Amino acid sequence: MTTLTPAVMQVTDLKVEVAETSEVILKGVSLELRAGEIFALVGESGSGKSVTSLAAMRLLPGALRITGGEVRVGEDDLFDLSEANMQTVRGERVAMIFQNAMSALNPVQTIGEQVAETLRLHTRLGGDALRQRVVQLFAEVGIPDAAARYGFYPHQLSGGQQQRVMIAMALACEPDILIADEPTTALDVTIQAQVLSLIRGLTRSRQLAVLLITHDMGVVKNTADEVAVMYRGEIIERAPVDEFFRNPRQAYSRRLIDALPDLQHFHESDVDEALLQLEDVKVYFPIRKGVLQRVVDYTRAVDGVSLQIGRGETYALVGESGSGKSTLGRAILNLEPVAAGKITFLGQAIHTLGRRAMLPYRKKIQVVFQNPYSSMNPRLTVAQIISEGMDSLGMGLSATQREEHVAALLQRVQLDEAYSHRHPHELSGGQLQRIAIARALAVEPELIICDEPTSALDVSIRAEVLELLQELQREFGVSYLFITHDLSIVPSIAHRVGVMQAGKLVEQGSAEQILTRPQHPYTQALLASVPRLDSA
Amino acid sequence: MKPLILWSDMLIYLLVFALCIFFLRLRRDPQTREHWRQVLSTRLGMVTMTIILVYVGVALLDSLHFRRALEPVAGSPSGEVFYNNKVTSVLDLMLGGMGDRFERTYSAPFALDSFEKQDMKDDVGHTYRDFPPLEHAGGHLSHPGERWGDVLTRSATALLWGVLFSVLLIAPQWLLLRRSPFPWHASWMTQAVVICLSVWLVNISRYYHVLGTDLGGADVAYQSIKGIRTGVLLGTLATLIMLPIAVSLGVMAGYFKGWVDDVVQYLYTTLSSIPGILLIAASVLLFQVYIDLNPDFFTVGLEKADARFLALCFILGVTSWSSLCRLIRAETLKISQLGYVQAAHAFGVSHQRILVRHILPNVTHIILITFVLDFSALVLAEAVLSYIGVGIDPSMASWGNMINGARSELSREPIVWWTLSGAFFFMFVLVLAANLFSDLVRDAFDPRSTTASVAA
Amino acid sequence: MFAYIIRRLIYAIPILIGVNLLTFMLFFVVNSPDDMAVSQLGQKYVTPAAIEAWKHKNGYDLPLFYNAQEQGSHTVTETIFFTKSVKLFAFDFGRSESGRDITTDVSTRMWPSLAVALPTFVVGIWVNICVALMVVMFHATRLDRWAVFVFVALMSISYLFYIIGGQYLVAKTWKLVPISGFNGDIQPWKFLLLPVLVGVIAGIGSGARWYRTLFLEESNQDYVRTARAKGASEIRILFRHILPNALIPILTGVVVVIPTLFMGGLLIESFFGIPGLGSYMLDAINSQDFAIVRAMVFIGSILYIIGLILTDISYTWADPRLRLD
Repeated sequence: MTTLTPAVMQVTDLKVEVAETSEVILKGVSLELRAGEIFALVGESGSGKSVTSLAAMRLLPGALRITGGEVRVGEDDLFDLSEANMQTVRGERVAMIFQNAMSALNPVQTIGEQVAETLRLHTRLGGDALRQRVVQLFAEVGIPDAAARYGFYPHQLSGGQQQRVMIAMALACEPDILIADEPTTALDVTIQAQVLSLIRGLTRSRQLAVLLITHDMGVVKNTADEVAVMYRGEIIERAPVDEFFRNPRQAYSRRLIDALPDLQHFHESDVDEALLQLEDVKVYFPIRKGVLQRVVDYTRAVDGVSLQIGRGETYALVGESGSGKSTLGRAILNLEPVAAGKITFLGQAIHTLGRRAMLPYRKKIQVVFQNPYSSMNPRLTVAQIISEGMDSLGMGLSATQREEHVAALLQRVQLDEAYSHRHPHELSGGQLQRIAIARALAVEPELIICDEPTSALDVSIRAEVLELLQELQREFGVSYLFITHDLSIVPSIAHRVGVMQAGKLVEQGSAEQILTRPQHPYTQALLASVPRLDSA
Repeated sequence: MKPLILWSDMLIYLLVFALCIFFLRLRRDPQTREHWRQVLSTRLGMVTMTIILVYVGVALLDSLHFRRALEPVAGSPSGEVFYNNKVTSVLDLMLGGMGDRFERTYSAPFALDSFEKQDMKDDVGHTYRDFPPLEHAGGHLSHPGERWGDVLTRSATALLWGVLFSVLLIAPQWLLLRRSPFPWHASWMTQAVVICLSVWLVNISRYYHVLGTDLGGADVAYQSIKGIRTGVLLGTLATLIMLPIAVSLGVMAGYFKGWVDDVVQYLYTTLSSIPGILLIAASVLLFQVYIDLNPDFFTVGLEKADARFLALCFILGVTSWSSLCRLIRAETLKISQLGYVQAAHAFGVSHQRILVRHILPNVTHIILITFVLDFSALVLAEAVLSYIGVGIDPSMASWGNMINGARSELSREPIVWWTLSGAFFFMFVLVLAANLFSDLVRDAFDPRSTTASVAA
Repeated sequence: MFAYIIRRLIYAIPILIGVNLLTFMLFFVVNSPDDMAVSQLGQKYVTPAAIEAWKHKNGYDLPLFYNAQEQGSHTVTETIFFTKSVKLFAFDFGRSESGRDITTDVSTRMWPSLAVALPTFVVGIWVNICVALMVVMFHATRLDRWAVFVFVALMSISYLFYIIGGQYLVAKTWKLVPISGFNGDIQPWKFLLLPVLVGVIAGIGSGARWYRTLFLEESNQDYVRTARAKGASEIRILFRHILPNALIPILTGVVVVIPTLFMGGLLIESFFGIPGLGSYMLDAINSQDFAIVRAMVFIGSILYIIGLILTDISYTWADPRLRLD
């Protein structure tokens, strides 16, 4: 460690447990924040990184209890202060930004008022001066037309602007320390990059000491000065950021780094036979207005998409939220009516088929959803869930055959046979997603539509699931339509890539072509915000 | 003796049977079992459940009816037996003839004399006005002054018996359940209190009117206990009638959407826009007119009252499904969007199977919560309806009728307070237990209240 | 917004037609006019002539839906359905079975009803919010748990007991106000005080418990954590952040009953002898005056539908996130 500046905030041996069960959540966490530097605390969900920050600010929910340690800010140990004194620390000396700005802002108060409240609490500003200060802060964090937006409500702003308001609120009283808890997780990648560069800029210009909590190694790499990896309530590794990425000491850290995209190696595909073909597919949702609720216009969720997926090939459909990629997936499954265009599967137009006529194709096209927790009926056992398709699609199996089949499938997705009698709530997200894959495989499909199958999973598990999907592809020759917002996982799986924006496919081509020589400016912007190792 | 099965008797036994099967089936689902464990692992849950079960048990005992054979009258052809027109229940037997000890009119609790003065003749034939002694209270005393001492000694003996009964009943439970993780001791305490109280009540009632008598001279304690059956049956039967309507319409509206949804929404908006009490009142009145015009349908008075009671349950059920229907529709809309229903669509699972396998099991928590919540609301509603005059038939014992009969007496001096207290106590205990229990059930089953998980 | 209200009003028409048909079916199909005549006249005096006379006097001697003996539009208008039910749409309530003009009765009786119901409503909400706020301040302490228990206990007491208890204590024992009665000219507040007090107290249990839940739900929201991180005190958070947010469901939840306040309360009015619409309905039920019941059902439905529309409007007014179109 080369920094010589003294620590502005020092957390020593912080311990937290669940009040009721005495289950230990934090096992003695220590860290220091220095002015002008960003300290990144990395870990997966449940590792205790958010608890660390909340405990340091004494904002833990009632179910958790601090059992030891100290938090020094300047001369004071925060754990010794009275609650009233603590309130002068919060917001004035240590400020916080939270993950989801939409819910972290008070929905019925104007954003100007919310920033002004921080100033009112800690300064003597009032009237016009207060208002001007707020507008000035808005301008500083890059909110356009700041004066006019003073009276806006949070919902009137975009996600990126909401997060900027949060930052303005945090910086209002010029704190020394900023704790940012997953500040960009809920944002689209292009916005994410902007917000991060804002935080980085402010750290330098205001000499802030920043604690950045994140699960995203890309964010760490591009923003932080020092990294600490948290795992099950402990910091297992700590290093300056360059050294950490060059030479991680722990195997776990290695796994996290490996999850970063490798933009040098791509999958090649040489299939010509089209399994699925989309020609100018449009899915419209009517917008109704007026006394009689007449249809005045349509939301063009999918607006003329043509693409082709070959046998045994993976086609990655990339786009930000609301770009229409999931709607397209549902349209291919014939769960959403197609307004225009043609969807053909093995030469047969399937978008016009009725519920019954579609049945033979249901066997051939399957789906894996984003949220593994909501895609399993909580009342059924794993065996029942997996065999649902076999039952309804009339695979004509006897009870014992079905049992054997389920066992074989479980084994194939690397789960123990004993899981077949469990219920979904007893399993982890990664295990559930494996079962979702097994469920899709059960009917021996030729195409599986994977709708963001890994975005609800932690990075280390994400890699395992992606690996499994590829293995299955090699083994069964199944094709994937892989819908994702995350460009960084594309190189590891996709043969071909299509980029969607506002219902249109703006660019498509082989994975290598899109990821190394993007033509469309939107693809370039997406790519630019993907963190990568090779830039180091 | 000739058993008499009222329609409501049959329905309540059917209902209890169905509920048992329902709960046994639910036991198979580990999540539901977990929720029940959460409810019953609190002492409050145990106590309230015990109290509710006691009430239900009393209601069930009171639903086994029969008519006593009359003594053969001289001169009638032999072999033919006539039956008493008064219908008795097993509960009446267990209460030891509490309901047969009528007085002339009001009397205060533990009183020896009637509440009202009356013209009487003394030994020499002079007419004088005084409080006449009660027929069934204190007759065994040689001197009125011994009354309280007598009450005390008899209470002490009764309580000893009560403790003995409690020990007999609880000991086997203790042997079976002592290793159970649930706080059974709370339930045992409640059971002991209930047993002691009832043994005491039955014993003392032979010598005194513990809660006095009402205008018609009937024992108030007995009336209050008989009110239990009415309250419990109304609370369960009305919900039972409402459930199938609300669930089927709500699920269909939420699942099929489109015109089905429009029709269902229209139906429940229309129904809920009619002031409920007026709709109930009008329906009950119309049914009453029907009964009055067709008196031949019913052989004994109780059957007539029972028909009106069932009609009331039916009307309450038919008029109150809209709120549950709305809840279930909303929940079904939500579930239909979830991954597992979408996945089922992708597997080509039929509508019927999706409804039965995926949607219904996942709205049961709403049904359960509504069932428990509505129960107490209906018990309270009964009192109000009876007061308005569209509730339970006056010939049937119910807390509403007791309150209705007693309220005009409040202006008397000294005040007649005991009829109200009897109804108040028995009703309050049941409704309080049901409300507290429903709180626990909701906390355990409502996914919104269990989201207080630890964020990390 | 305007288009929205118009649309809601158009939607109201089929609902009112449905209400009308339903009540009509209930009153005339389940029990024929002959049955009604019998029950009105009493079993003793039933002769065919008397029944006919009663039916003629009260206008029940017409066919139900279609009058074949008449010409043109009269085939439809000269029917029971038209004279008794359709005319309600023109707010022509006709006469009660006892011959009184229902429209006049309703317009005079709704004011006493409102005089009781409105203060009960306003004071009730205010008291419930205050009680709930106090309890929330002590959240997760023993006081909070006991308060919830007391709320549940209060909920478990029948409304009748509140009225009887209130009359007994305040009016009879303490002799503070008259037991019952109403006089609009001389010190009306004296007569209103007790019914309002009883109404408010009877509502505390369920009201305060509900509001407490709403407050607690809001206090788990992320923005509350943000406010804490700003350094705001707990009291400030409660009043400046939680309260305004919780008021949205509270207000929008109660708006639906505002129009129905005109209908008054059945029990309160009959116990306290207030000559409002509540006691009017009760009298009608007791004397089996179906003309009045029918009219009140119709009025009640209209008020409920207005309440629904007001609810939607209040949402947009209270919650900046919602704008109707």
